[in-house]
Amino acid sequence: MPHTADVAIEAWGRDLPELFVHAAQGMLSLAVTVEPGATVTASREVSLEAPDWEALLVDWLNELLALQDEHGETYVAFDVSLSAPGQLRAHLQATQAYRLNVAIKAATFHNLAIRHDERGYRTVVVFDV
Amino acid sequence: MVAKKDFRRLTAFLWEAPATARPGMRVPARIYADDRLLEAAMDDRSLEQLVNTATLPGIVKYALAMPDIHQGYGFPIGGVVATRLPSGVISPGGVGYDINCGVRLLTTRLHEEELRPHLERLMGALFHDVPSGVGRGHAQALSQKEMDQVLERGAEWAVSHGYGSREDLEHTEERGSMQGGDAGAVSERAKTRAKDELGTLGSGNHFLEIDVVDRVFDPEVAQRFGLEEGTVVVWIHSGSRALGHQVCTDYVRELQAAGQRYGIQLPDRELACAPLDSPEGKRYFAAMACAANYAWANRQMMTHLARQAFERVLAGQVRDWHLTLLYDVAHNIAKIEEHTVDGERLRLCVHRKGATRAFGPGHPAVPDRYRDLGQPVLIPGSMGSASYVLVGTETAMQETFGSTCHGAGRVKSRHAAKRGVSGQALRQKMEREGIVVRTESLGDLAEEAPEAYKDVDRVVEVVHQAGLARKVARTRPIGVMKG
Repeated sequence: MPHTADVAIEAWGRDLPELFVHAAQGMLSLAVTVEPGATVTASREVSLEAPDWEALLVDWLNELLALQDEHGETYVAFDVSLSAPGQLRAHLQATQAYRLNVAIKAATFHNLAIRHDERGYRTVVVFDV
Repeated sequence: MVAKKDFRRLTAFLWEAPATARPGMRVPARIYADDRLLEAAMDDRSLEQLVNTATLPGIVKYALAMPDIHQGYGFPIGGVVATRLPSGVISPGGVGYDINCGVRLLTTRLHEEELRPHLERLMGALFHDVPSGVGRGHAQALSQKEMDQVLERGAEWAVSHGYGSREDLEHTEERGSMQGGDAGAVSERAKTRAKDELGTLGSGNHFLEIDVVDRVFDPEVAQRFGLEEGTVVVWIHSGSRALGHQVCTDYVRELQAAGQRYGIQLPDRELACAPLDSPEGKRYFAAMACAANYAWANRQMMTHLARQAFERVLAGQVRDWHLTLLYDVAHNIAKIEEHTVDGERLRLCVHRKGATRAFGPGHPAVPDRYRDLGQPVLIPGSMGSASYVLVGTETAMQETFGSTCHGAGRVKSRHAAKRGVSGQALRQKMEREGIVVRTESLGDLAEEAPEAYKDVDRVVEVVHQAGLARKVARTRPIGVMKG
């Protein structure tokens, strides 16, 4: 999406867990290119808690950026479950066969709102790159 | 929404939106720009972001924007916000994720024609020695103890380990070592992520450039700064790497919770902030100072690596290859400073997000060597275009809390820049102009194409004409290394 300084993605999902998975996939598709035929080299568990869904989404995306950096891997499969109020548990599958495209510094809260309509959930996340 | 009609022209280069322009504003919003730059600022949401910052509790006088303003995330890039101690707020978003992103300039006595025969080899040596690029910038890992020392001592730690001289520290903002850092305020995750990044350039708009002084505007000041027409200089533009990113990420969240406790209402959550005298505000300041110190140590380490590369390639080939640090400035930082506001001396927290400190003559923070002239102000252009050296002024002290612009300012998104020009074509264009280019990724090169930025000559002309810093010299690149 156009944004002068940085990069923004629009993500949607039929439900909140799908929105969280799509946002993660969108962010990582900017950040890395996974090699064809990459195999899963590790799995990770993530557990997060935040006061609201927007903060949980930002925490989730920033958690992935930090984990990626710490372990020198990226994530190719996500199993996300959410429970109110603002709790996330996820199981990630990681691979080390990838190339970094862009160093994303962080997912930001800038004008962040998760919107709900009859088709599901939708949001725009702005990243500092 | 803010519109151009909300801004009234005060002088040829200064526009103001009154505090009544939008509900919640505590002070007017001001932008330094000519007509064209103001129009450019209207094209994105940067002025709306500027107006949002005018709502921050404790803000003094004005929310300020420099002519290189462009859209950020929360605060605009090119913004200055000063809040009053003790209870005004500090905001991590007012500093940004790359804490103490900044630039330093090294001068030489080498003339372009002496260097030309060795330029390819020198760029190769720099590219080899200074780690750069996405995910490639690895250096030797610091131990936990070393990391804590770097965070609290900054460039002084690097110099005490043999990576530079005391004179380098004299010529660095805050002497490269900001007081008030507490490594205990920095998360383990931030330290872990950055343990092998000290002395690395990074990616994005960061660069190491060899330039030649091609114009001198103020011969007396230029001579005192060691800048002579035709001589070679080196620019290093980098920041605090993943350490700063993680500190900002951690504290945007922490200060959101704190802000709610203190009853702070904000138009955008990315403006999260807490009073300077609150435990949360103090803790962020201590962590931010650590990240700033990491960045100063980082640029100092790269200076050492650049000096080694110069020595290896040029010793015995040219008469003098030495690199002397002219100055080093931060352009993403919050500082506690004293300023005179309406005749009263106040202690303020000056947030400079994409803005450069530009203290005038006589200020005690200006190094001895330059004190009678004013602080050297370093304005890097976009990759492949000219850069500027200016000097701080008394006008900046009176109007902008001693601040000026920081660079060219983006007008195109990174994506749009990539669509407009290929990295290969850009490289060929620069090489036709006699610029030696070294980069990891041609895509990254295209993102930083000069066309993606405002015209640095125009931006600098505005701050010069408005008196926010005075032009001293201009440099043009002959060797570009991009992360």
